[in-house]
This record gives sequence, structure tokens and C-alpha cells, in this order.
Amino acid sequence: MGRSTFLKKAIEVGVVTKRYPYTVVEVPDGFRGRPIIDGDKCIGCCACTAVCPPNALSAYEDDGYRIIRIFYGRCIFCGRCADVCPENAISLTKEFELTTDDPNDLNYIIKLKMVKCIICGRYFDTERHLKKVIENMKEMGLEIDTDILMRCPEHRNLNNASLIGLRREFK
Amino acid sequence: MYILNELIKEFREYIKYHFINHNKILIEVDKNILPKISSYIFNNLGALYCTSVGVDERPLNGLFKIYHIFSIDRMNLFIIVASSVDPAIPKMPSIVNDIPAANWAEREIMDLLGVVFDGHSDPRRLVLPDDWPNGVYPLRKDFKYNFKEVARVEKKYPFRKIEYGEYILPIGPYHPALHEPEYFRLYVKRGTIVDAEYRGFGVYRGIEKVAEGRLTYNQIPFIAERICGICGFTHSTCYCQAIESACKIDIPERAEYIRTIMLELERIHSHLLWLGVALHILGFDTGFMYCWRIREPIMDLCELISGNRKTYGLNLIGGVRRDIDKDKSNRVIKHLKELRREFKEFTDSLPSIREVIARIENVGILDRNTARKLSVVGPTARGSGLDRDVRRDHPYAAYKRISFKVPVYSEGDVYARLMVRVEEIFESINIIEHALDSIPEGSIIAENIEFIPKVYGLSATEAPRGENIHFLITGIENRIYRWKVRAPTYNNLPSVPYMLKGENVADAPIIIASIDPCFSCTDRVTIVDLDKKYVKTLSSNEFIKLARRWR
Repeated sequence: MGRSTFLKKAIEVGVVTKRYPYTVVEVPDGFRGRPIIDGDKCIGCCACTAVCPPNALSAYEDDGYRIIRIFYGRCIFCGRCADVCPENAISLTKEFELTTDDPNDLNYIIKLKMVKCIICGRYFDTERHLKKVIENMKEMGLEIDTDILMRCPEHRNLNNASLIGLRREFK
Repeated sequence: MYILNELIKEFREYIKYHFINHNKILIEVDKNILPKISSYIFNNLGALYCTSVGVDERPLNGLFKIYHIFSIDRMNLFIIVASSVDPAIPKMPSIVNDIPAANWAEREIMDLLGVVFDGHSDPRRLVLPDDWPNGVYPLRKDFKYNFKEVARVEKKYPFRKIEYGEYILPIGPYHPALHEPEYFRLYVKRGTIVDAEYRGFGVYRGIEKVAEGRLTYNQIPFIAERICGICGFTHSTCYCQAIESACKIDIPERAEYIRTIMLELERIHSHLLWLGVALHILGFDTGFMYCWRIREPIMDLCELISGNRKTYGLNLIGGVRRDIDKDKSNRVIKHLKELRREFKEFTDSLPSIREVIARIENVGILDRNTARKLSVVGPTARGSGLDRDVRRDHPYAAYKRISFKVPVYSEGDVYARLMVRVEEIFESINIIEHALDSIPEGSIIAENIEFIPKVYGLSATEAPRGENIHFLITGIENRIYRWKVRAPTYNNLPSVPYMLKGENVADAPIIIASIDPCFSCTDRVTIVDLDKKYVKTLSSNEFIKLARRWR
């Protein structure tokens, strides 16, 4: 025991520093890397944008499309978006090397078609989300008039007593 | 409760309101009696000072409120003394004369809330930058969290005057031992430090304000985790526990165990990091490499369990997000066995490196009395003979079901602080093994969580650097009303000037590092010699060389 232990150990172990970036670094399963959205599964419900702590995920409307955007420059890789996604459309990859000289590389964008309100002509929801609403209602044994479904939230509330054709069908 | 009876007996006519929990007493007193009652709690009841919180409660009851928090370690009890002040005349008596530890906390309240403490011995700025205008107080509720355009004013920080024969050795604005920009000004006479001043908070980020203004309950654990780059998990745990205690949320036992395991893994890698850095500063780079090499598998274990080597993102209110399965647990046990063997070899051989031991023995002494007066925490306290450890004194997570030793040394020098950390690493390995062995089955997160508005939450955890306090008041609409974080270094840093006095300049880096701040290689030091009127800037390497050449 003593000074020689350190020397012996140093010779025995040798160099442990990896020659990164010239070697590949393995990460374990369950690593929280770059989040990606599956464009086929996403319904544009915006649950992820509500829960994202640093506001890396945002949703906005652009010319009849709902844009879901991840900006990796803000992302903290917590994976809360993947937790709350009702369609399991968001997953975390094993990628962690995001350095780039072009800021546009840090954006990940999903475009989803939106529908117009039949009263005011305003875009208010995505097609897929409305379809999902109908499906969910069916599962619960409820049916909803397409006439009401195609209205934006404000116009659904107007005269709703007379308009809502909700019928509970007991199975 | 015995303590409360004592307090009420002594101050019957002044206590307006009190509220008791199993480990908390909140009493509300008139502001004029505050110094007397605080001094009674600190000196007669043997409590240690934790922190003070200033809250702008004008939207609730039209008052500013100050909470002084004390901890009686031997009884697992926190005493919160609250007092209110009229916003029109925001003046209240200072408790600093009896409790020097309150110095920083009161200055912070003066800066951020604009409550003036009469009789404060050192009412200079602490948190706000020098060019911040007077009369703008960021923690008031009418100051928006995203407000940017503050008119800056020209002003310099009033440092103490230089006496004849002294010269100034500024360490900073980047510190040789800390990641953050912090500034020590050493007053040196013939190579001996006669006095030291500290000016920090160069990176005050206003995390508390952002959390109050923008984030929801379950988003805050992630920002809490980013308060510290090394011991982040303990902050998010502390925040979650504070909310859980406020809203009476029971978390599953399994989640408590997982939190404990992660907290201890964090302690191991934090202490190993510190040990490496300390040896590096002393010029023993072989030891530095050794520590950092055996630290790396621990980081890999963290990555395996949580998905990232740092910022684990595991905590949510009510539990944790990921489970530890059998396979992972076996790998943790395997690596810990390896770590114990290698670290044992290391600690057995370290005393034979005499030049290292000579540099840390009887250097940077902090005596027990000063330590208590300043209410230092963690290894700094335990190295000075203050027997306190939150894990044992205020048990949280799974620590109440696990027994462990708390190493205490009475010498108060750098060596004692080093030995405390070395022994803690072995204890942490034992704790993790015990926890993995006895981890109960079940769910990992509580369901149906309901938040109660306008209740107090207080929680403490033992971070690798010491006691970590989160105090909060819940609010409405899924937001907190006030969140106060007191990191351990906040209590430890004021003790550094005491350690530095009478020491050699070359010992300054290791003394400052001995309370365990982090190291940054971009640091540099400027030497100003007033007699010769020369200014020389040393790079960090040159400064470390100076430190190594010594003795």
C-alpha cells in the first residue's frame, strides 16, 4: 500500500478515455435523446405543448394547417411529451449529437390539415382530432351531429340547447 | 409539544397565531419582538438557523411577510417564525446581531422584496447587480416575470477600504473552484490573507420568479433539477416533497426507495468529483484521474436507471417516473461492489502521499462555534464537529427505514471535510445496497393527486453539499404562489472568509474548494499590487501552478 499502488494501478488500467468523436458511444435502452413525432399517428391534440416545461414544443396555425413544432434548441429531453401523448406518437430516440451550424436543423415540424367552422369560417381543429372525438364518443355510446362537430368552440356554445343532438344510446 | 409550550410560556402575549404539523411549528408574532424570539430559539432552544423567506402577500392580505425558518435537529422539528410588515413602511428589525447566519438571507430580502431590516450590520447589495436601479424589486408580485427593460444606473460595489501594507488579490469574476462567476476579494499582507470579501450572484437567474410566473406544479421539478449541475436530483426531490407535505399526498413506498437510491448515487458521484478536483488543485493528478475513472461507472448507472447521466428527470409530484427492474438492480449491485473495492484501495493509499496530507492538515480551520453561529451545513458542518445530517435528523424518502452512520470530525480543517466525504461514500454504497435489497413492490406514482391552494410546504433534503431547504406556498390555477430555494452553499459560503483569514495565499484555492463548489477551467485570477501599481492576470493554470509550488 502506498505510492506504488497508484503507479501500479495507472499502468494496469491504462488509458480509459474514449476517442470520442472518432468512436461510437453506446447508450443504454431507455436513453432520453432527441424526441421525434410520428406524423402518421399525431392527431394534433396539443397535449404535449401544454406539458412541455421549457416550451420547446409549440403549436400554431399556418394557412389551414396546424403546425406542431419541436425546437431542439430549447428541449431539455425530459420526455414528458412522450408520457402524455394519447396516441403514443412521440418517442425518444437514442440520438444525442445535435450540434449543427444551421439553426433550421433544430426544428422538427409536423403539419396537420385543419377544418373550418361552418359558421364563421375559422380554422379551429385538425381533421384527425375530430375523427378521434367521434371514435371516442362512439366508444362511450354517444353520438354527435356532424353539424355541431364542424363548429368552432364558440359557436357550439351558442344556442347549444337546441342544436346539440346528443343522444345516449344504451347498449 | 414541549418546545411549543416553552415558547408560549415565554412569549405568551406576543404570539398571535400558531399552526402545528408533525414536524413544523409556525408562529406569527409582532415584528418588534422578532429579534428577541429568534434569539431565544437560536440560543436557548439550541436551534440552528435555516433561512428567511420574504413573501409579497399583498394580493392575499395586503402585507409583506417574512418567515424565519429554524431547525431543531435533535427533535426533527422546524420552527417558522412569521411576521408581517406594512408595504407603506416596509421596515422591520434585523435578527443579524443575534444570528449572524441570517446576514445573507436578510440582504437578499432587502434586494428582492424591498423590505428594509433596521440594524443590519452590512446592508450592502447581495443578489442584485450593482447597476440595478434603486426601488425596483423583482420578487414583488407587480414585477412581471418576463419584464426585461430595466433602466441601468452607474454604480460600483462598496468594498472595504484597503489598509496600509495590504494588497488585494481578487479571485474572479470567474472563480478558480466554482462553475459560476463569483468573486472573492482577498486582502493580503506579506503573503498572508488578513481579510476576505465575497461578491457573488453573478448568475442569479430568477428561477423562483419564473416558477411562480409561468410554470405549473409538475413542470417545476425539471427546473428545480437545473438549479445545480451536480446535485440536481436532490433539489427536485425537495421540491416534490414540499408539495407533497403541503397537499398531504402519500407517495408509494417503492417511489421513496427509488428516490433514495438515486439520491445516494448522486452523492457518490458528487463526492468523487469533488475529491478528484481537490486532489487536482493540490497537484496530485494521479489521484484526480483515479477518482474520476471510478466515478464514470456511477454516471453510467444513473444513465441506465433514468435515461441520462445527469438531470435524471425522474421526479414528479407523487412519485417517480421510471422503475428499477431486477436486471438494472443487479447491475447496480455489481458496479457498487467494484467501486467499493477500488475506492478502498484508494483511501488506503492516500495517507502515504504525504505532500497532499501536509497541504490539507490544519489548513482552513473553521471552529465549531463559528460553524454554529453561521449555521453551516453538510460536510462543512460535520468536519467542524456539528453533528447534523438531514437524512437522520429530519428523515425523508426511505431513510427512515434504513440505518446508516453519520461521520463527524471535530478538527474543522480541510482534511476533516475530506474524510467526512470519504466515509460518506462508503455509507452511501451501503445505503444503496440495503435499499435495493429491501425495495418493496408496488406502484411508483400516486394517483388522483389534488392540490390544496394557499398552504405552506417545507421540506429539507441532504444534498451532497449539505442541507437543502425548499419553502413554498401553493397558489391557485395549478401554480405556486411562492417558492423559495435555499441551496447548501448559501449557508456554507459565508464561512469561507473565516477559513481564509490567517492562511497563505497559495492555500486559498483548496480552502475555497473545500466547501465543495464546482471547478471551472476558464477561471482566472488578477493580482493587483498597489505599491508597485501593476496588474497581472494569471490564467487558471498559472494560479494552480502557484498553488502547487507552495510548500
